[in-house]
Amino acid sequence: MRIFWVCLAVAAIASAQEPASVFQNVCGKCHPPEAVVTPRSRAQWQETIAKMVDLGAKVSPEERTILLDYLAATYPPGARAGRGARGGGGGPTLNGAPLDRHVVDPEAANRGRTVWVAECIECHGTSARGSDKGKNLIQSEMVLHDRYGSTLAPFLAKGHPMQSGRKSSTLSQTEVAELSHFIHERVYDTLRGSPIFQPQQIVTGNAKAGEAWFNGAGKCSTCHSATGDLKGIGGRYDPPTLQGRFLFPRGGGRRGAGARQLTLTITPPNGPAVTGVPVAFDDFDVSVRDANGELHAFTRSPQLKVVRNDPFAMHDQLLDVYTDKNMHDMLAYLVTLK
Amino acid sequence: MKRIAILPVLALAAILPAQPPTTSWPTYHGDNTGRRFSPLTQINDKTVGALAPAWNFRTGVPGGLKSTPLMIDGTLYFTAPDHVWAVDARTGKQIWHKAFETKGGWHIGNRGTAISGNWMFFLTPDCQIISLNIKDGSERWHKQNCDLDQFYYGSMAPMIVKNKVIAGVSGDDLDRPGYLTAYDPETGDQKWRWSVVPLKKGDPGSETWPNEEAMRHGGGMTWQMPTYDPDLNLIYITTGNPQPVIAHANRKGDNLFTGCVVALNADTGKMVWYFQASPHDTHDWDSTQVPVLIDGEIDGHPRKLLALAARNGYYFLLDRTNGKNIVTAPYAKPNWAKSIRPNGTPEPDPAKMPQVDGALVTPNQGGATNWPPPTFSLQTGLFYVGTARAFSVYYIFDPDLANPQGWGGTDRGGATLSTSVEAIDYKTGKIRWSHKWETSGGRSGLMSTAGNLVFTGDNGSNLVALNATTGDPLWHSKLTAPVSNGPISYELDGQQYVVVGAGDTLWSFAMKK
Repeated sequence: MRIFWVCLAVAAIASAQEPASVFQNVCGKCHPPEAVVTPRSRAQWQETIAKMVDLGAKVSPEERTILLDYLAATYPPGARAGRGARGGGGGPTLNGAPLDRHVVDPEAANRGRTVWVAECIECHGTSARGSDKGKNLIQSEMVLHDRYGSTLAPFLAKGHPMQSGRKSSTLSQTEVAELSHFIHERVYDTLRGSPIFQPQQIVTGNAKAGEAWFNGAGKCSTCHSATGDLKGIGGRYDPPTLQGRFLFPRGGGRRGAGARQLTLTITPPNGPAVTGVPVAFDDFDVSVRDANGELHAFTRSPQLKVVRNDPFAMHDQLLDVYTDKNMHDMLAYLVTLK
Repeated sequence: MKRIAILPVLALAAILPAQPPTTSWPTYHGDNTGRRFSPLTQINDKTVGALAPAWNFRTGVPGGLKSTPLMIDGTLYFTAPDHVWAVDARTGKQIWHKAFETKGGWHIGNRGTAISGNWMFFLTPDCQIISLNIKDGSERWHKQNCDLDQFYYGSMAPMIVKNKVIAGVSGDDLDRPGYLTAYDPETGDQKWRWSVVPLKKGDPGSETWPNEEAMRHGGGMTWQMPTYDPDLNLIYITTGNPQPVIAHANRKGDNLFTGCVVALNADTGKMVWYFQASPHDTHDWDSTQVPVLIDGEIDGHPRKLLALAARNGYYFLLDRTNGKNIVTAPYAKPNWAKSIRPNGTPEPDPAKMPQVDGALVTPNQGGATNWPPPTFSLQTGLFYVGTARAFSVYYIFDPDLANPQGWGGTDRGGATLSTSVEAIDYKTGKIRWSHKWETSGGRSGLMSTAGNLVFTGDNGSNLVALNATTGDPLWHSKLTAPVSNGPISYELDGQQYVVVGAGDTLWSFAMKK
């Protein structure tokens, strides 16, 4: 038995840099990796990985790159959650949809695209959103009621102009079903979470002006340095993630050991002050865990002094100060810190 | 501080309307005014320390209980998506439970039921309006309130106005028009339907849309429960965001009657007046907060008023006979408007509309407030609203910049700088006091009582009683989840109860004996 385990361990080391193994080894330390995978854009995956590192995930810079490439390729928007298979209508947010909705077969939709380009695109447009010559099919009730051609087929059988001159009644049942897959895919493209539901090019600012803001009015250089803590930051995050991180660095939830986080200093009327990370904090009770892991709990009273030590307070204050130009310039500057 | 607060009490006393009932909570808001004010005083700022749990009832249905229970003849009636319960208001014991098989629709929450006589009415996520017998939950009729294939769904609590059941519609994923419908309570037949957006050129409001296609797909969902003034026979309905939600190039104009408070004739469903809180909304703020009816006094004259603390960060006070604006005042430092129009509507700053490279905006998409109900106290003359001050960056995503569809973008990132209860002087919009919570996260509804109390939830899963005059926290009880609806109060057998939903559990509190 022991020999078997050793073999497995050796195999694991040998394939340590295989992307799927990195995924299993890094993410699987804390949670079953496949169970929680939600499709995300590359930018969102970068954000998620950063958050996991904050939560304590151990990952080398090399593994981080492998992980990002793997997750972005395997679980892009539109991928089926937790399985890695693309399509099936599993990507876009379908919260409001009927249970018997049209489930898109991506391969059939691709075949439908051929018919679309040959017969429909000139009037109804690339994305089925219509033109001066033809209706917006995304908004068509007939399309929304359709399932695999159920309303489209009778409509086309009656005769509808097609761009090649071919009679629409000659479209085969399969061709209509494939067209239906293609059109429904375009409808789902308009939903949150679809493959096109992600930021475009957002680096539009002036890097020089951003640098001036960083060292001047923004007072960023009071705590940060382009050659110190921010060295290479432009290479670590894609622009939307980077923009989110300098504006809202507080992030979400619990953070790993050593990470900057809110602490409270509590001074009882007759006792020494204690400082620690808040465990409970409301109008009635306050408790903190100090650096030694010891819990200190108090009932709040006017005599109990509670002071917040918030490392992100400056970032919060800046939100009322930034102009959008400052924000764009800062991003343009930070992306140059490769 | 206390002296200042007494003045409006006296002013209000002179023109005090019929008080809401004390031995029942018969509608979503307790009455039709949207005030959520209980005249009960057994639990008050002096006695609240002795308030303790009486019973709790766990539904076992995941998702927060967003429904406000109705209490009639000793029974509580409340809902979750696809579920209705009748529970003994004295003991918390289940009397009956009805679960419906669903055909889909967004199961984001259900706000509750309306009851008239022996009959209950509620909406399901799969677009049904259903009438049940309140004695045993048996079904009388069901009708189609919307088309599930168009991604509409049901979430709001219907309302009884005279001999009609008023029902709204939810859903803003596809670009569909919103509407409000009146049904016959006996048969479920449609009596009237008001379309939020104009459907053809020449209709009122059509001048605020570029073309018929834009207006006919222009959104404006009716998520929020209306209020009603029987003397004026007007229903007040607040309307949702226009569509497409975030990317907006193909809907230039104010996009009436989205982002509005609208007064409808209860008999005909015809619009009498409107006031737009968010013209050409591009931030998913809608305006579907509670239109609260206040019979107050302005410059020494009794006035019929309507107060709205909108998700966009502004408080509005209107004359509810004609919709004329009296006050527009920011209550959460919004940064999206560049001026206030002469009619009281904020003028959006185009620079703060969503951009391809992002615009830093406050409030964030969650809003300065959201659907959880505020409260107005007849005792203090203060309007209390749960408030968040938060920033986020709004992006346009849709590569089809000229003809976006659906949402076409969203906000990302974000920081909540504070969450609080703001106590607003209803006459001026000035903030009398602000009670900030220590942590942020939850959103809870509010109720005020004649015991000088405001009940709501904090972000640490406490049900909290604040002194209504000063905002001082007086009492709390730790629940298993943040308060997820608006608290209610009623008296049974001489005992005052406070009932609130948190997570999947309904909690009841009464004084220790």
